[in-house]
Amino acid sequence: MWRFVINRFLLMIPTLLGVALIIFLLLRVIPGDVVEAKFMSGEGSGASAEVLAAERARLGLDKPVWEQFAIWMWGVVRLDFGISMWTGAPIGDEIALRFALSLQVALMATVIATLLALPLGVLAALKQDTWIDYAVRIFSIAGLAMPSFWLGILMILGFLIFFRWVPPMVYTPFWVDPWQNLVQLIWPALAVGYRYSAVATRMTRSSMLEVLREDYIRTARAKGLWLKLILVRHALKNAMLPVVTVIGLEFAFLLGGLVVTEQVFNLNGLGLLFVQAIARRDYTLTQALVLLVASAFIVVNFLMDIMYAWLDPRIRYR
Amino acid sequence: MVTRRRTWLAGILSAAACVLIVATGNALAQEKPRYGGELVFPVPSEPPSYDAHREQTFGVIHPVAPHYNGLLRFDPTDPTGTKPAPDLAESWTVSSDGLVYTFKLRQGVKFHDGNEMTSKDVKASYDKIIFPPEGVVSDRKGQYGVVKAVEAPDPYTVVFRLKWPTVSFLGSLASPWNWIYRADILAKDPHWYETHINGTGPFLFVEHVKGSHWVGKRNPDYWDKGKPYLDGYRALFIKSSAAQVAAVRGERAHIQFRGFTPADRDTLKAALGDKITVAEAPWDCLLMVVPNQQKKPFGDKRVRRALTLALDRYAGSKALSRIAIVKEVAGVQVPGTPYATPPDELAKLAGYGKDINAARDEARKLLKEAGAEGLSFTFTNRGVPMPYEPVAVWLIDQWRQIGVTVKQEVVEAAAYYTTLKKGEFDVAMDFQCGYTVEPDLDLYKFTSRSKNPSNYGFYEDPVLDDLYEKQSRATDVEARKKFVRAFEKRLLDEEAHYLMTLQWHRIIPHSSKVKGWQITPSHYLNNMLDTVWLTDGPTH
Repeated sequence: MWRFVINRFLLMIPTLLGVALIIFLLLRVIPGDVVEAKFMSGEGSGASAEVLAAERARLGLDKPVWEQFAIWMWGVVRLDFGISMWTGAPIGDEIALRFALSLQVALMATVIATLLALPLGVLAALKQDTWIDYAVRIFSIAGLAMPSFWLGILMILGFLIFFRWVPPMVYTPFWVDPWQNLVQLIWPALAVGYRYSAVATRMTRSSMLEVLREDYIRTARAKGLWLKLILVRHALKNAMLPVVTVIGLEFAFLLGGLVVTEQVFNLNGLGLLFVQAIARRDYTLTQALVLLVASAFIVVNFLMDIMYAWLDPRIRYR
Repeated sequence: MVTRRRTWLAGILSAAACVLIVATGNALAQEKPRYGGELVFPVPSEPPSYDAHREQTFGVIHPVAPHYNGLLRFDPTDPTGTKPAPDLAESWTVSSDGLVYTFKLRQGVKFHDGNEMTSKDVKASYDKIIFPPEGVVSDRKGQYGVVKAVEAPDPYTVVFRLKWPTVSFLGSLASPWNWIYRADILAKDPHWYETHINGTGPFLFVEHVKGSHWVGKRNPDYWDKGKPYLDGYRALFIKSSAAQVAAVRGERAHIQFRGFTPADRDTLKAALGDKITVAEAPWDCLLMVVPNQQKKPFGDKRVRRALTLALDRYAGSKALSRIAIVKEVAGVQVPGTPYATPPDELAKLAGYGKDINAARDEARKLLKEAGAEGLSFTFTNRGVPMPYEPVAVWLIDQWRQIGVTVKQEVVEAAAYYTTLKKGEFDVAMDFQCGYTVEPDLDLYKFTSRSKNPSNYGFYEDPVLDDLYEKQSRATDVEARKKFVRAFEKRLLDEEAHYLMTLQWHRIIPHSSKVKGWQITPSHYLNNMLDTVWLTDGPTH
């Protein structure tokens, strides 16, 4: 097992290096740079060529591309991601400011999705082709069909029309004021969690149906075991492998992918920061965010691999 | 039926808006300001740095301006936003030859760190703007080419020596970007103000949470005794326009100082009724069409004139002002401001006449003469929905009516000006926005490419350059008006280097609790908040 962990950890290095190289080059290929975005795309009259050149020199953009990459990689190795080219603030500060919010929304949405998906998926599988199954399928298909940002807009409009109220616009950390924090974040978590649960519900249902047709379930039932025990101990645990995969990947996606939902609820999260960083050609910040999301995917995959071994004892890592 | 009802509704709302503006004006005069409360306002952008000398975006002005003063400001009660008024300077004199401006400073003004503001701070701030040291970016250096030197002969006197007389100089000093910084700090680190706040303004800095909000609180030692009225303010950084409207509608914010669309105004008014006051004004921002004269056939002025003659600006104003933030038909100056061309005179310019059929006949004739019948080209537009998208749709339809086929190509905002600078377009949308309506600032963009790199038409026009110089150096207002008119006629009619679309229209629906704020044609003005007060306490 330890050998597996070390191998996986070492594999992270070339993966992240590849990601870093690709994003670094892609950002340099797209037209425009941070200096033009700052001084030429605003509402001012436009800056002179001298101003643009001076700013490029200050940010190190006048250096050859390979040198810029080397400087950046040397910083990454020392966990120094540099400063944001747009704000001048340390990258670590820019990300840390938004990370707590994004992580909390992702966690809350995952909890909501799991609490909805597991019972509904199992129930639908057990009551296949009954009205309960149909109701669950309609509920989950609606969730798949409805973008979470659209559900968020409906929520906001509903609050405004019926209660003349909107959720708070400024993030309050949970440890400062739990009530204010939940009043702000529960709505985006619900909007995102519903769509997320729809994917997981359908996966749980189909996986359960497959497992329930297995010989060992038939054997357990023939032996007269209590249905609840069969479900929990023998069926559900085995049906969880693909469900855990879906939940894990969705969680990693939520950390940096809630762009439009964050706009709808005015959340100061990583998704919005990501889009702004790209639009502003903030190279250093975009590179750091891509590395962060890539790392999140790698870590989540790694944790899922470990969970597979717990769920299915036949799986052994070497 | 629906259209008629909407027209009727729009008429009622416009009338109501006018009545409300007048009512607000009267209320300003009659009501006694109340103290207390926190003003909350969304800002659709965010400051890249805190140093206004180097930045361009209103994202700096709106949250940060309340911490600072300038030497002069624009009179906060003037709806045209063109009258310079005292700020840190309490009076001034101009020498008879117009080359020396002497300002007397207020005494006893303190920076937020407790140090007294003196003439050396004003000199250091203007030296940074006009003669920036190496490595310091000053976005407005070019606007002060007229200044020979800034002097501080005693602690409360500042002298500006000019190379030539210009009537626009006081307006230049009232710029909302020219905040006065502390000389000692600038001497130690000219970049300090990019990340720190220390001004003399009516509000003290409390916090800036990036991507979230900015908070200021009342400066108890403010030099203008009795002001400010508010206990503080909170700027919320909200990018999405729907979320900004929701913030005002849900009464989590009082006002947004940049502007909303006509649809947003109508939604807010319908939802909140008397709780919302609507202020509207022509906006000193303009979308312009620029033909690339390096490319055939746009070097031929007959083709350019045909393109402007095709535009029915008056009908366009009616249609577009219902859905977009554009409205007034204008030349090179915002209607209603001192140097604007009166409507009757404007109607004599190509593309501004009232007989659109005659204009389009002439356009077709010109295209035929130029050998450009059945002309087709690509129109490059900026990837910003409002108002670029609806204006482009309108333009393409107008040109279609003289037999011109146009394909639109939308370029992402960040890469847009690179495309323009490189001249990689046939005809493109260009943009200009100012902090005050002043010919020196507004006309410079149209001078020859060799003088001005933001001329994307790539033309050289010595006649136009000469007219620019003449209007700039004219010391008599009437004489200057004549040069401005001649410049406008050459730019828009004789040469048709640029085609003006419609003036932007600023719509500010705000909580009726907000008093003491005057709309102007610029969203860069009146953001110091020293005159603003609330009829009751904070919203939430």
